[in-house]
Formats: sequence, structure tokens, C-alpha cells
Amino acid sequence: MKVLVLNCGSSSLKYQFLNMETEQVLATGLIQRIGMEDAIFEYKVPGGKEIKDVTPILDHTTATKKMLAALVHKEYGVVADPSEIKAVGHRVVHGGEAFTGSVLINDEVKNTLRVLIDLAPLHNPANLTGILAAEAALPGTPQVGVFDTAFHQTMPRKAFLYALPYAMYKRHKVRRYGFHGTSHKYVSERVAACMGKPLSELKVITAHMGNGCSICAIDGGKSVDTSMGFTPLEGLIMGTRSGDIDPGALFYIMSREDLTVQELNSMLNKHSGMRGISGISSDSRQIEEEMEKGDERAKETFDMFEYRLRKYIGSYIAAMNGCDAIVFTGGIGENSDLLRSSVCNNLRYFGVTIDESINKPRSKKERKISGADSKIDVWVIPTNEELVIARDTRDLVESLKK
Amino acid sequence: MTVRTWGIIGTGPMGRGIAELVASKGFEVILVGRTPAELDRARACVDQSLAHQIEHWAITDAEKKLTLSRIHSTTELTQLADADFVIAAFVAEIEEDKELFRTLDQVCRKDVILASNTSTLSITEMASATFRPGNVIGTHFVPPMTKTRVVEIVRGLKTTDETVAKVMDLMGALDRKGVEVYESTGYVTTRLIVPLINEACATLLEGVATADAIDTAMRLGYEMARGPLEIADRIGLDTVLVMCERLWREYGEVRYRPARLLKKLVRAGHLGVETGEGFFRYDAKGHRINGGGNA
Repeated sequence: MKVLVLNCGSSSLKYQFLNMETEQVLATGLIQRIGMEDAIFEYKVPGGKEIKDVTPILDHTTATKKMLAALVHKEYGVVADPSEIKAVGHRVVHGGEAFTGSVLINDEVKNTLRVLIDLAPLHNPANLTGILAAEAALPGTPQVGVFDTAFHQTMPRKAFLYALPYAMYKRHKVRRYGFHGTSHKYVSERVAACMGKPLSELKVITAHMGNGCSICAIDGGKSVDTSMGFTPLEGLIMGTRSGDIDPGALFYIMSREDLTVQELNSMLNKHSGMRGISGISSDSRQIEEEMEKGDERAKETFDMFEYRLRKYIGSYIAAMNGCDAIVFTGGIGENSDLLRSSVCNNLRYFGVTIDESINKPRSKKERKISGADSKIDVWVIPTNEELVIARDTRDLVESLKK
Repeated sequence: MTVRTWGIIGTGPMGRGIAELVASKGFEVILVGRTPAELDRARACVDQSLAHQIEHWAITDAEKKLTLSRIHSTTELTQLADADFVIAAFVAEIEEDKELFRTLDQVCRKDVILASNTSTLSITEMASATFRPGNVIGTHFVPPMTKTRVVEIVRGLKTTDETVAKVMDLMGALDRKGVEVYESTGYVTTRLIVPLINEACATLLEGVATADAIDTAMRLGYEMARGPLEIADRIGLDTVLVMCERLWREYGEVRYRPARLLKKLVRAGHLGVETGEGFFRYDAKGHRINGGGNA
């Protein structure tokens, strides 16, 4: 079965096309600046043709159609006809409590997604746009939603409830949901495979450090706690998001700056995090560059970023009463050797050591970076959310036929 | 037909306010003004308003640039041939509006809905100037457009249910709540706020309280975000005066007769926030200067 995986942002569309018999990637690409006259269309066949085109793409439906045209192109396409695309899998950020696993998309699911927009205002509207665009471009093809929140539905109540009046949970479903579930799930399964041990016997901490950052405590293959909460705003410091903050400070800021709820929401989601502290950039690479040049604020930003992450690792070791492996993944987790060594060098109390000869060199491979004497394994595992989405999509669509 | 491009006619507070709102929600805007200078001024105002929103953390620099890039200025009504929805948003007399709608009827595609932001003139009368009366509707945005979340959706005599439904959806896309009203001078918002402002003017003139005291009493007394006199300053006192006169003419009720103080301020050119001075004083960014009571 051939499956198309879509990850839709507000002005971007990331796609991967896989043959699920072999789990081989047939084509991949990214469309950026959707809605503009100079949108960027990228299409790539692994080990083959690469296309990059600047062209007006005014909406996601047009973007989807352009992608399909490339997939069936006579010269560089990978299928003869769009009908060979048997299913479409979508990454959807927030599934609330309504979705504890991946689902086939129907009208009811779409309505629920609309209701959930409030919970993930940066992501869910775009995900929904992607679903509608794919429906328009591939009518009748089954579509599956794979939720960032689903993996964390195994969390115990003591971990997901907030100490608010219980009515807030009963009435409004205010609780910890957690995000990046597909990524945490994938890298925990991979690290178990790499270690040659069953995941059911491991305690793993996975740190997904990308544009958004979250960390997850996985005991026996089940998420037992994670740093993102009701929204993707809680927990670690991120590119433009604050992460944990005293809620009391927010009321004070609102009255002092005369802010509306929406303005405060925007401040915390778009103007805070590394961007807000450093005043330089939301991109950790740029922060590290400035830090090397001696910029004090950049140094402080990095230190805060690292410190918050390390505190969470410590707390999750306590939460699970042990830890067999720590995994770094996501853009920053996979590429910043500085972050990894800073964290590991401050976890010596737990017996963590790091082998800089493996940590330092850039690589896209799965690799163990802890020293031979380390009590806890430390790994870098490149995440592959698309593969998890494609697998879930295949499984659901196949079960449909039975 | 999905609406991607809005045509907006008018560069005053109404026109540019709607343009900013619509562009910030991702629609393209063709903004039509009388002169290039007026259009430049409107763009500068939108720029300033967006900068103000950045100061308030509401948007990012990138979002501001994106919003501005979606507003395309022109002095040519014929450019509206590319618009999917058109709204006339300036204060005019009915004859001027009818003439405009006659032109729009020729310029715009047949399926395009033509709207007016008027709160006092007859949609039915404007529609009568076109060959598409079913596709003519009133959409009364309440200032400040970028903040207020209600839009009065006004049916003319021949406005179709389909048009109303489409426009309701469109307001939803702007994160605005459409409230359906029938054609009647002042609808709900104008009809209720004008007597309040007018009475506040009379109260001030009678020396019952200072402008600041009147606004503070109403703000705190009825949990209003702003008092009636500041509301008037923000609408524009000239606009308030026009509203008063039209309600007065239509209903003949004394409560709508413009207060003398209102007329006096307008004659003096003290129009409110727009000119920096009305019942209160304002800086260039539209912030009230404390202690700047004028009257």
C-alpha cells in the first residue's frame, strides 16, 4: 500500500510518500510560503530527481494538487496515477480527550477538530486546512488523523490532572495532554531496538528539541508524564514559547501592560522563549553562534534553555524511580552537540558520562553518545514522525477492508 | 465562489479599519481611495495600528509585514473586477452611494456580493441602483474594527437568504459574530449609542459633571471599556453628528436631535482621536492624554 503523509502548517505543507510494503520513502518535499506569489515548491525522489520551483501557490488545495502532479509526473513521478495513493495520513496536533489513538477522518472528526482549535491555535487550524485540501484533491481516498496527543493518553491521572478545582477538568477537560507523541513513541521504540532490550522493560526519557520542545517519561513503553500540558505552551523553553511560568505573573503583566487575553496568548506563544530572552533569534543555532562570539544575552539564553531541560530530566528520573536511557531528538536535539554535552556533564551525579568523540561529529545516524562507563545510556535518535503516521494510516485503512 | 479578495472603498477610519482586519485574517485587499495621498495616509495608519499591536505583543513583525503586503491600493474602481466581495466603507449621502453601486454593478462579477458599511442609509435604495438587488447587503462593522467582534448584517428588501448566509460565514472567517438586523436607520448599535452620547453631551453642557467624571461614572458604573464621550471621540465627532442628524430626520424623536456642544466641537474641527482633540486630547498613537479634558 502506498501512503501519503501530510504535515500542514499555516503557510507550509510537508509531505512524504511511502511504499508501506517496504516502508521505503518514494518521494518527499516541502511547500513553503503558501498564499504568496513566490511560494517555494520542493520535490525530491530519494537518490533521484530534485525539483525546486518558485511559483504562485495561493492555497493549500493548489499546493496539494501541485504535489500530486509531481507524484504522477511522466518524467520524475513515482506513480502512474493518483489512484495508487491508497490513503492519506495527517499529522494533527491536538486530539483532546476525544482521540486516544489515530482515526479515520469523517465529518464528525472534522467537527471535533474545529472545536479543538482553541486548544492549539497555532497548529490545529492548519492541520484542518490540510485535511480539507487533501479531500478536495483526492476525493474518496481514506484519510487518517494521527494525533500528537494520542501517545500520552496512557499517563496516569496523578500526572495529567492539574491542581485546579476538579470542575475545570469535568467541565472543560482542562488537563495535561502532551504533544509530540508520535516522535516520543518512535524514538523510544528505536532506542529499545538499538539497545537490544524489550521496551517493556525499559525506563526511557525522550527529549524532543525542535521548534517546539517537550520531554517525556516513558516507562515500559508507556508515556507516564510529559512536559507539554493542556496546550503546547507548558514545560521547556522553546523558540518563541515561554514554557513554565508562574501563572500569577501573567495576571500582573496583563494589568500592567493593559493586555487582552489574546494579546497575552500571543506574547507567550510568539514573543517569548529563546526569541524573547535573547532578543536575537528563536533559532538555537543563531543563539549558539552569538554565544561563541561572546554575546552575554545569548549565553544566558542557552543556559536557561539547557537548565530547564536538565531540571526536567532530573524530575523524570524521580518520577520513574530510575532511568535506563535518555534520548535526544528533534532539530536541536539531533544537531546541537553543545546542548547534549552541557546536559550530560551536569548529570554526573546520576552516573552519566559522555563520549565526545561520538557526540561531537555531525551525523544523521542513530548513535549512543554516552561513555562505556555511563550508568544511563544516552542516545541521539533522529525522529521519524512521518513513518509512524504512515504506519498508523496503513493499519487503519487495512482494518477498514476487513 | 470562495472569497479570497476583498474590495474595500474608502480610506477613512472605517475603510482602513476593515482593510486591516480583513488583511490580518489572510484575505487579499484591494483598497480604493480618491487620491494617492489619501491611500498613502491610510497605509501609514494601518502600519501604525499594526505597530501598536506589536507593542501589545498581539502580532509579530513577520505578521505585520504579511498583513501590509496583502493590502493593494488603487484609485481605480475598475480594479475591483478582481474582487470576490466588495464593501463601501465611507460616510456619504445616498445619491453618492447609489452612483457608486451603479458603477460597482458594472465593474464586479455577477456573483459578487456588494455590501455597504452604512448604519443609517437604506440598503434597499442602494440595491435599487443595481441589477443584483439580491446580492446587496449591509455589513455594519462597529469601530474600532480591529477589536470589536460584532458586525450587524443588514437585509435590504430583496437581499436573498443565500447572500445573508454567505456573509454570515464570511464574518465567521474574520472571527466576528454577525447579528442579523432588518433595515432600519441606526440598526441596533448606532441607534442605542447615539442617544447615550447625545445625552452625555447635554449632561456636560449643563455642567452636571466634567467630561472625565461622566466617562468614569459610566465606565465603572456599567463596566464599559470606555465612557460615552471617549467612544464618541473614537468614532469621530463628525460621524456621530451625521448619525444624530440621520436618526433625527428619520424618527423625528427629540432624543436624537444633535446636542449643541457636539455641533460646536465639529465646527471647531475638534473631531476626536482623528484630529487629536475632541472631548479629550489624544496623542498621535490615539492614546488619551491624561488630564487633557477639553470641554
